[in-house]
Amino acid sequence: MRIPSSIPCRDRAAGRLAVACALLLCAAATDAAAQQSPRDVVQATSDQVLAVLAQKDLSREDRRERVKSIVLANTDFDTLCRLVLARNWDRFTPEQQAEFKREFESHLAATYGRRLDQYRDEKLAIVGDRKEANGDWTVQSRIMRGGGSDDFVVDYRLRQTNGAWKVIDVIPEQVSLVANFRSQFQEILSNGGPERLLQVLREKTAKGEEFKGE
Amino acid sequence: MRGRSWVLAVCLAAAGFGSVRAEDERPRPLPGARAAAAAPTGGATEGPLDYDPWQRVNRKVFTFNDKLDQWVLEPVAKGWDYVAPKPIERSIGNFFSNLRFPVNLMNNLLQGKAVDGAKTVGRFTVNTLLGVGGFLDPASDLGLGPKEEDFGQTLGVWGVPSGPYLVLPVLGPSTVRDAPGLAVDSAASITPFFIDAWILAGAQVVDVINTRARFLEAVTEAKEASLDYYAFVRSAYLQRRQALIEDRTEPLPERTPTYEDSELYTVP
Repeated sequence: MRIPSSIPCRDRAAGRLAVACALLLCAAATDAAAQQSPRDVVQATSDQVLAVLAQKDLSREDRRERVKSIVLANTDFDTLCRLVLARNWDRFTPEQQAEFKREFESHLAATYGRRLDQYRDEKLAIVGDRKEANGDWTVQSRIMRGGGSDDFVVDYRLRQTNGAWKVIDVIPEQVSLVANFRSQFQEILSNGGPERLLQVLREKTAKGEEFKGE
Repeated sequence: MRGRSWVLAVCLAAAGFGSVRAEDERPRPLPGARAAAAAPTGGATEGPLDYDPWQRVNRKVFTFNDKLDQWVLEPVAKGWDYVAPKPIERSIGNFFSNLRFPVNLMNNLLQGKAVDGAKTVGRFTVNTLLGVGGFLDPASDLGLGPKEEDFGQTLGVWGVPSGPYLVLPVLGPSTVRDAPGLAVDSAASITPFFIDAWILAGAQVVDVINTRARFLEAVTEAKEASLDYYAFVRSAYLQRRQALIEDRTEPLPERTPTYEDSELYTVP
């Protein structure tokens, strides 16, 4: 193999070029993101997640972390939390609101993270999309699990924040995650208030950690 | 059998035995969760709260059903799931789903859905003759997917509100409107008089176990994902039933945009 004499120098130049290119790409990517339709957002998110899942050599932890960051990047989690707590949002102090977001995120990450371990080559196909009356957008997908009768439908509801479309609800088989958690949390809040809800979330996550260890 | 999602699964499982009976395979009776539920509670920004005035009793029955499931049905279903390959489970599910034909036909017609009624007849014919007595589902590939309706849905389409949420012993989640619907559908099921009653009972047991086996993972996941499992199942059941009444389970482009729920998606 021929070794060039001026490696450091060339490397530096190449490095600068790489940085410049990366910056350009970033700019282009941001630009593209701004113009991505809701449908594109769901498709891109799904593609990225499936790409991670296809890497069989990733550790379980790595895989979960990567998927989590992809999903969070395409979710308006703040809005999602507010929708879930609805009128109860105002019963939380700012500190409690922040803690709620952290705990709820951990809960979702733990629950759905475990599910990633059971991934069996399911594919996602986008089958439709539509604008909703309040300006939100619904994108419908079909999750393919090998057989007609085993496939199922998942809707995603997206809202535009700062120019980008982000997911604010996931609706498998017409059951809204937001509505479902709202109903659960309402039960807990009406019996014990915000502190009780936070405690229940913490306990659930702690239990999940034990479970993860096995 | 297509709507067989984890959600539905949870309803079924939480229901214990009954909800997993043949006729429950898919759409069971449905409560007008949202519309009907929102009204009595009246909370303007509260969103679609689930109307459940009998919660104290319901929770007790729910716990009973869940124990019954944990101690009896789930272990048996696990055993069956261990020995039976997935395609076998699916075929058995297809078979029992096919037998639900008279109920689907009746309810499609009662709801004025002549085309869906005709498709139901076509589907039954194709799957019975070409699908080896209903074990296979060639009809779906021919565009004759399931058009499953039950009497609870029919009442919903006629404008009967769901009424309070109701957890039936053994049978599981229901509502004041849906529960009587179960009886009507059951009466409408043609029971072949020439088949021994014991064989029919046995078949029903097979159906229940097989269905529960197909939902093993889904139920476990639902229990892990929920912080109040009772409320999780209730919300899932009521939402799903309302969607079935409004036929929102059809593909998005064919749907009428009636399910806009501005309350649900308004940030406080």
